[in-house]
Amino acid sequence: MSTSAYRATLAGPTVRGWLRRPGLLLSCLFLLVVAVAVTRPSLLAGADPLHGQIGERLRGPEAAYLFGTDHLGRDLFARVVHGARLSLAATGLAVALGAVTGTLLGLAAGYRGGVVDAVLSRLTDVLLAIPSLLLSLAVVTALGRGTVNIAVAVGVGSIAAFTRLARAEVLRVRRSDYVEAAQAIGIPWWEVVARHVLPNSAAPVLALVIVEFAMAILSVASLSFLGYGAQPPTPEWGVLIAEGRDHLATSWWMTTLPGLTVVALVVSLNRIARAVQGR
Amino acid sequence: MEHRQRGPFVTTGVVTLGLLAALGACSSGGDPVASGEVATPRSGGALTFAVLSDPGCADPQQVTSLDAGYWARQVVDSLTDQNPQTGEIVPWLAESWQVSGDATAFTFVLRSGATFSDGSPVDAAAVKRNFDTLVDLGARASTGIGYLRGYKGSEVLDGNRVVVRFESPNAQFLQATSTFQLGIVAPASLDRSADERCAGVLGSGPFVLERYAEGEGVDLTRRAGYAWASTLWDNGGEAYLESARFRVVGESSVRTGGLQSGEFDAAAGVSVQDAGTLTANGANLVVKTNGGIGFQLAARNDAPIISELPVRQALSLAIDREEIASVNYVSGTKAATSIVSSATPAHADLGSQLRHAPDEAKRVLDAAGWTAGADGIRVKDGKRLVVRAVWTNGAVGNKTLLELVQQYAREVGIDLTLVEQDQATFVESLGSGAFDVILTTVTRADGDVLRNTFSTKLTNQFHVPAGGLDDLLDAQAAEPDPAKRAELLAQAQREIVDNLYGIPLVELTTVVGVSPKVHGVSLDASSRLRLHDVWKDQ
Repeated sequence: MSTSAYRATLAGPTVRGWLRRPGLLLSCLFLLVVAVAVTRPSLLAGADPLHGQIGERLRGPEAAYLFGTDHLGRDLFARVVHGARLSLAATGLAVALGAVTGTLLGLAAGYRGGVVDAVLSRLTDVLLAIPSLLLSLAVVTALGRGTVNIAVAVGVGSIAAFTRLARAEVLRVRRSDYVEAAQAIGIPWWEVVARHVLPNSAAPVLALVIVEFAMAILSVASLSFLGYGAQPPTPEWGVLIAEGRDHLATSWWMTTLPGLTVVALVVSLNRIARAVQGR
Repeated sequence: MEHRQRGPFVTTGVVTLGLLAALGACSSGGDPVASGEVATPRSGGALTFAVLSDPGCADPQQVTSLDAGYWARQVVDSLTDQNPQTGEIVPWLAESWQVSGDATAFTFVLRSGATFSDGSPVDAAAVKRNFDTLVDLGARASTGIGYLRGYKGSEVLDGNRVVVRFESPNAQFLQATSTFQLGIVAPASLDRSADERCAGVLGSGPFVLERYAEGEGVDLTRRAGYAWASTLWDNGGEAYLESARFRVVGESSVRTGGLQSGEFDAAAGVSVQDAGTLTANGANLVVKTNGGIGFQLAARNDAPIISELPVRQALSLAIDREEIASVNYVSGTKAATSIVSSATPAHADLGSQLRHAPDEAKRVLDAAGWTAGADGIRVKDGKRLVVRAVWTNGAVGNKTLLELVQQYAREVGIDLTLVEQDQATFVESLGSGAFDVILTTVTRADGDVLRNTFSTKLTNQFHVPAGGLDDLLDAQAAEPDPAKRAELLAQAQREIVDNLYGIPLVELTTVVGVSPKVHGVSLDASSRLRLHDVWKDQ
């Protein structure tokens, strides 16, 4: 992908351009709704997400309860909406950790080369050899339960992908004429890195951030599903899906609707990531 | 570019979660199966039984979980059995017994003819060796060691008479001899180390332990020539079933799904949400209230905040026990009416004290100086009314039980923080006292369970202050007359419920889902499965 294509995607979206890509339009709209859920959840769902009415338990989706109610009579839609903030905060933390650490390591490996590159690259190979969910499980087992711990675990699991990508980009940029020119006129290395290498190798990393964000939502939800995450009564997407699994036979909505919400968000993010990549 | 390779991984993840969502969407159907006519028991066939958890060990004397009881009970016989209706102790391996007036010496006369599955006789020497080695097992036989507390020694009087002596009065021992934890194991197994015994032991029971595979389950086969059945069983001879397989299936929905599809003939731990589906499909539910202490939030009685009686009173008054029993448990489960369940022989009905009265709870807290804070949680001297509740997912419905209690507590201004721990960490917390309240239950069809749990002279895990309760618990232990003992135990229950050293919630009910093809499933006084009388249609 070239930088110009990247710019073209973000700039100048005409109405016709949007209509030709309804998937992208829907994805963006859905993302907007999620953004509202994260920032102002009570705008979308007025019901109390924590306190249920026992008499209203296990009601199917209806006008009063869009997503039905759970085993304690809590409005499931309110729980999904209010759970967005925690789920996505954990995801954001995970991706930030992975992206920042990974990019810095990749930068070091790519720019310095030699022994530093060899060591970091082999370490990355080792990390990539372990399935990232397994790695996250190991980390969260060591750290203990909790949403922050899950975020750290998922973040650690995604470092390697960022390192690889950043290193490859830095290797390409480092050999370009303007970097060699900057070095030749005696600009100190930190300035070369900060002003020339980093900005010019950042675009693919940003695209990966979106893809990894989608991945991380799933990983965070998976770890929460396994019981490592938020403790009751706090709503969190993985927890909501897990809570419904004992009711699969009788109350399908408890697992299905939070599950579909996660799926919709991941699919939307993938669609947007593809647009950012210029496809 | 390299990062594009990540695409497929994302897709896989979506598919996995999507699949789960789709699983939820498909509902299961099926025609109700009419239950068969009452027929004569048929010999033969294999039974598959799904349980919740792995025992970790295949020695009945070394296991403690309710799940282990399903198979462990079938492998060993006990000296006595207990009538589930009356609580009366009746003969099994011992055809008669005598208890000394001070409840320190128990003389058993064994029936003749019983043998272990290696052919060696069940005699007085074998019984003595069982108790001697059990004491040596120490903490590995935590249940049995509690029953044998103060064990002085056993003496073989002749081939089939043995006397068991204790340092101090131990009236509960007679009932304890009916449990599988004091079941009699063959001397050949006693020669082996505790670890070796975990691979399986020989007993004299109606089934022989064939194989134990960790994480998978236990296989049993019928003992040929078995003729020393408990006097409470219908069938005096060999068991009807040729073999039985117990399989560990952790997911509640998988157990009940397997029962519906015919993969399992019976399943333990039926949840309230599956009970309706199962019975609609023709399965039967065998339901029995466990004796002993039902689900309780045991308090750490010397910790800040929870050691204040008004806080415990308010928490107790806030809880709607009837609602918990009806919403979260299979029909037949009762709200707690005392610290011990209604199925415990000495149960005293203190239900009026364990009433649901949230307004009263608020008044109690107001009077104690806990005033409502900004977020609804009460505050006193700048401290929020936070109670840390430690629990483990050891029984069906535990999570919902605590979520409900958390809601009730919140209504009166108590923040009940739930801390879920795995089994090992939970046991550690219990031992070290790292909790404000902890969700526990102890199955024991004898009131002495109170002494083990609340006496300050034993482990005193709940840090109960020493006082009059100890005297009552000691006195009942020394009282061989059941009626007088029941009166002492009733006083002890009042003492505990008055002080709420533990907050009773609901009674523990054992629920077994049984396929319509399987007959004769029943539970004994300790809520253990009686597999001997079970038979299966062709």
